[in-house]
Amino acid sequence: MNPNTTSRPGVHPTGAVLVVGGGISGMQSALDLANSGFKVHLVERSPAIGGKMAQLDKTFPTNDCSMCIVSPKLVEVGRHRNIELLTHSEVKSLDGQAGDFTATITSHARYVDTVRCNGCGLCEITCPVTCTSWFAEQPAPGEKKKKMKSVEKRLITGPGQPKPQSLSGWTFTVDEAACQKCGSCFKACLHEAVVWEKGDIAHIRPEKCTACGACFVACPEKFSAVSVSDAPEMEKGLGAAIVARSNAIKGEIAGQDRRDCIRCGLCAMMCEKVMHIGALKMVEEGIEAGIDICQVCGACVSVCPVNFLEINRLTNKTPRPLLNAFNEGLNTRKPINIFFPQAVPRVPVIDEASCVHLNTGACGICRSICGLKAIDYSHTESELQIEIGSVIFSPGFEVFDAKKRGEFGYGHYKNVVTSIEFERLLSASGPTSGKVIRPGDGGHPKKIAWIQCVGSRDHSCDRDYCSSVCCMYATKEAFIAREHDASIEPTIFYIDMRSFGKNFDAYVSRAREKNVRYVRAMVSRVFEDPRTGNLELRYVSEGAKHTEIFDMVVLSVGIQIPERTKELARRIGIATDSFGFAVTGAFTPLAASRPGVFVSGAFNGPKDIPETVIEASAAAQAASAGLANSRGSLITEEVLPEERPPSPDEELRIGVFVCHCGANIASVVEVDKVAEYAKGLPGVVYADHPLYTCSQDSQEAIRKIIEQNKLNRVVIAACSPSTHEPLFMSTLRQAGINKYFFDMANIRDQCSWVHPAEPGPATEKSKRLMRMAVSNASQTRPLTELEFAVDSSLLVIGGGVAGMTAAVEASRQGFGVYLVEQQAGLGGQAQSLRWTSDGMDIGGYVQDLKQQVMNTETIKVFLNSMVIDQKGFIGSFESEIMTPSGGTRKIKHGAILVATGAEESRPDLYGLDTLDTVVTQTDFEMMLSSPGATDAVATVAMLQCAGSRDPGHLDYCSRVCCNQAVKNAIRFKELHPDGRVNILYRDMRCYGTGELHYRKARLAGINFIRFDPEENPPNIRADEQGIEIRVVDPSIGRPVTIIPEILVLSTGIKSRDTEELASMLRIPRNSAGFFIEAHAKLRPVDLPSEGLYMAGTAHAPKDISETIAQAQAAVARATTVLSKKSLKLSGVVSTVDPAHCAVCLTCVRACPYGVPFINDQHTAEINPALCQGCGICVAECPAKAITLGRYLDSNITAKLTAYTDHGPAPAEGGQQ
Amino acid sequence: MLKAFENGADGVMVMGCLEGNCHFVNGNFRARARLARVSRILETIGIGAERIRMFNLSAGEGARFAAFVSEFAAEVQQLGPSPINVARQEAAKIPTGEIRV
Repeated sequence: MNPNTTSRPGVHPTGAVLVVGGGISGMQSALDLANSGFKVHLVERSPAIGGKMAQLDKTFPTNDCSMCIVSPKLVEVGRHRNIELLTHSEVKSLDGQAGDFTATITSHARYVDTVRCNGCGLCEITCPVTCTSWFAEQPAPGEKKKKMKSVEKRLITGPGQPKPQSLSGWTFTVDEAACQKCGSCFKACLHEAVVWEKGDIAHIRPEKCTACGACFVACPEKFSAVSVSDAPEMEKGLGAAIVARSNAIKGEIAGQDRRDCIRCGLCAMMCEKVMHIGALKMVEEGIEAGIDICQVCGACVSVCPVNFLEINRLTNKTPRPLLNAFNEGLNTRKPINIFFPQAVPRVPVIDEASCVHLNTGACGICRSICGLKAIDYSHTESELQIEIGSVIFSPGFEVFDAKKRGEFGYGHYKNVVTSIEFERLLSASGPTSGKVIRPGDGGHPKKIAWIQCVGSRDHSCDRDYCSSVCCMYATKEAFIAREHDASIEPTIFYIDMRSFGKNFDAYVSRAREKNVRYVRAMVSRVFEDPRTGNLELRYVSEGAKHTEIFDMVVLSVGIQIPERTKELARRIGIATDSFGFAVTGAFTPLAASRPGVFVSGAFNGPKDIPETVIEASAAAQAASAGLANSRGSLITEEVLPEERPPSPDEELRIGVFVCHCGANIASVVEVDKVAEYAKGLPGVVYADHPLYTCSQDSQEAIRKIIEQNKLNRVVIAACSPSTHEPLFMSTLRQAGINKYFFDMANIRDQCSWVHPAEPGPATEKSKRLMRMAVSNASQTRPLTELEFAVDSSLLVIGGGVAGMTAAVEASRQGFGVYLVEQQAGLGGQAQSLRWTSDGMDIGGYVQDLKQQVMNTETIKVFLNSMVIDQKGFIGSFESEIMTPSGGTRKIKHGAILVATGAEESRPDLYGLDTLDTVVTQTDFEMMLSSPGATDAVATVAMLQCAGSRDPGHLDYCSRVCCNQAVKNAIRFKELHPDGRVNILYRDMRCYGTGELHYRKARLAGINFIRFDPEENPPNIRADEQGIEIRVVDPSIGRPVTIIPEILVLSTGIKSRDTEELASMLRIPRNSAGFFIEAHAKLRPVDLPSEGLYMAGTAHAPKDISETIAQAQAAVARATTVLSKKSLKLSGVVSTVDPAHCAVCLTCVRACPYGVPFINDQHTAEINPALCQGCGICVAECPAKAITLGRYLDSNITAKLTAYTDHGPAPAEGGQQ
Repeated sequence: MLKAFENGADGVMVMGCLEGNCHFVNGNFRARARLARVSRILETIGIGAERIRMFNLSAGEGARFAAFVSEFAAEVQQLGPSPINVARQEAAKIPTGEIRV
């Protein structure tokens, strides 16, 4: 059975897919599937999607900001109507079979309602708990809780005496009816403010009271006779009021360094009345702490407005601060927390282990302050069953536990960190805001060492494989660290520099130029100087022992599969290798051992982000091909009412909504005043200030308000348009008005968040931003989003493995395929290969694939043919093909897949192609496959990088040669056990599991000799008399002479001549002639022009499995277009007014996408389907003949005018 | 950019993504070139090229953004109101002193 097949004949499969893991892999799979007509259930174990990529600072080799490029994906997944996001959930079991699975999902209790919560984050800010407590044993149901009595007490004092003050004071009074005359309050009061005599009711003298609340704390719970008034937020609860008063006092004394107790009493009130512990008591000299009963939650320290309390002093235990897992434990978090600021869903989770309420029933502050009633302590773990047709398993990786390599001191020496921790230190949103500091003392390190292969290429700790990414990320981290602080001196200690990917070597060269030092050495030990925290590294390099002192050491930890993932794989029933990576076939690189389950990402072998994205798309394709019959069966489409066309003389009727965002905006900005101000602006007929403008019920309310008030423009002053504009615009559209009759003012990020201490000016700024938005909205024009039909055929250019795989897979998806091949036969470069590293028969595979192509009716093959003309745009292309007869044929198709391949380089080196004794690796592979061809060979020499990584020939690394050399060397040794093989290399780049073969080769006695083209080049003589190689073998430090019968050159892969094709299709190529992808990290199979995709070695050198995966990925990407009946164009595109066009060609030259052209009417024209809406042509056009919807001159002028025009209500206060 | 001065700005900041990171390929390089032209015009008409500047930073660099704004606002504060505003204020006889960025 073909493991790619997921459906059984006669059964209609379920048109839904389960994606396990919400990292970049799972997200990409989910988006590709959901955008091609399948329902997706995305299950993620952590509280938010994003995975490891969200934790990275920058990405190699482009230094793109990782979060900046991944966050749009997070938002897209979060908002997609056909992706059901199940975060904080895990797969329990998977029953059924391909096409018809039932998965059981366990959703852990979140305690926050994901529907009600709008992610304002107030709960996290307000929660006072900072540590994992030692919770007292809880009474059995029905039993009364016993009051704890402290035996061990400690007096906490400051540098001076307490200085009682009544800042933001509350009023305390005794309720005469409730007072039981016990006198506890009298005894507690330190200020003689309580009047009491035995047998009398107590009274509080307001003139003496300092509002410390000692009386309130002391009054026994059963009486509760002391009451509090004049306390803001008290209506929500005492805890909320305490936090509010603490914040108020902090505001009043901001900027003063106070260490003495101000006797506000908040700590004692918090401990007794909110946490129900009662470990703190105010005394004359300071605070008396019951250090034995303190539960060590940290709430008292959080609410102390001065630096008086220290948690270590309050307890006899060692506090356990709650570490922030997203920041690798480098800083702390609260029990209720949003996983990271850009988290999707932006909904917090309550940690069961540390939340005081969940453990003792006390506290409950978060629930009391949440205006949306989103907090629900009664949540329990729940189970649900979902029906799906196939499964994509992409659970991701964890980093190696560096403690297992004890010689580096991780976990003992504070200034030894892991690479992922260093990533967080570099990140602008990380625990140090991007400052590179030593965790040991907060100092700025100068000399930083990276130690490579910690938990990689290491047989001793069962990590025999290469993690594939560490050489590059270490280079990136060193590079970026120097960008942060130019005085940093980075050194990278490595075995082989494995920069094997596209543009990687160039990146490493740039790093060298930027003073990143590379030392080829294994570090044997790290010692810490306990006085300075500096680290001494011992290593052997060039035969000599060295020691060197560094300020900080970063361990480049490898990738590994977590135990829980191995366990889950066993539960689901998919095979893994001894390291836990999925077992897949070389020709079915995504199919797991269980039919209908597909794997992607690091779980399918160590890999970097673009390779992961390729596999993710490929897995989406593999998982959906068998479900193609059920495409569209389970998805929902949005139903919209007819759009009301605006009449030209219609008066402006602008509606304004100013959002409170709970307290997020309203606690700083006076939103009611902003709304009131809006009412006076020209054109505004309606203004309101909803509590949460984005909530589901508000959307419904806004829709009704638009209809009732006949609004024709809407302005929302709230949060960020980048997250919320699509939501509000769709509400406009649902109300029947054009969605571009809209503008937004971001008064949360730009006012309340950045000016929390200046409410007056923040309110004025909000008014101004809103005034500008209203002014702009009055100038908006309705824009139409053109819709056009999509042709569902795919044009594939190139008939090698990539092109044939793509053709077969596209036909399985139900699309017609035109496959154009320049040569007389299909097969391409793979025809000159014999086996994969695992010994799989490539020749047989290529034959089968050819048969499949020829036997598939929906694939039309054009041999000896070329694409000679191409017109149109995404969804609707028209191409002309020249056939062998010399005639041409026009075809229509919706997408283009370029798979033109590459070929083996044959440089004029060492007599290649003139001497029989000098051959290339593929020549040698052929010889090995023909019986007897190598029988006369006793000694083989292989020369790596023969014309690769060499500016004179190919100046890049061809990626596959090291693995191919190892493969052929092992084959030769198998055929001739007594034969000798010497491999001369610069860096053995056997990435991923290729390392296992490299080890096998060394164990088989194959001799590896490293050379350096500058310092230790091999001296090679090859002529009719024979071959002689002289080189110094650095491992023994002596010159050696090799006299082989055959010299095998690893010559690398060079691009084909695609210049004409590239210029016709307008696709850019790099200096080596490989096509340039739309985005190096996240769009590795998309070409920059919409609707064009690529696969295989036309993109960059790669092996056959990677080629097959990329071909499947390209089909997945094309399917997102071809599966649609029609496409809608963005309304924000440039248009040329022909009356003003002078045909100066400025726009033609300026457009970065090459879109404008001169039409047969002799004016410039911009095809709206191709326009990206950047506006560059608009700015450049000297005749101002081009306009861009939404950004007309009138829009910009309106904003600028409104900036200074104060409007009807003169603004008071200063302006910025 | 000139309209902003016309409308009373004392200084104008243009913010773009890091060079090489433009969503629209080379848009921020074009913006920089355009800014250079505007600076020359500002110099010629006596407003001064120092009142306009381009800043490049990524979307994740909030602290850097704030630092840029503070730095530029302080510089414009030093320069005082733009000649356009001075002329207008004299014409309208309203008290001078407030700075707009």
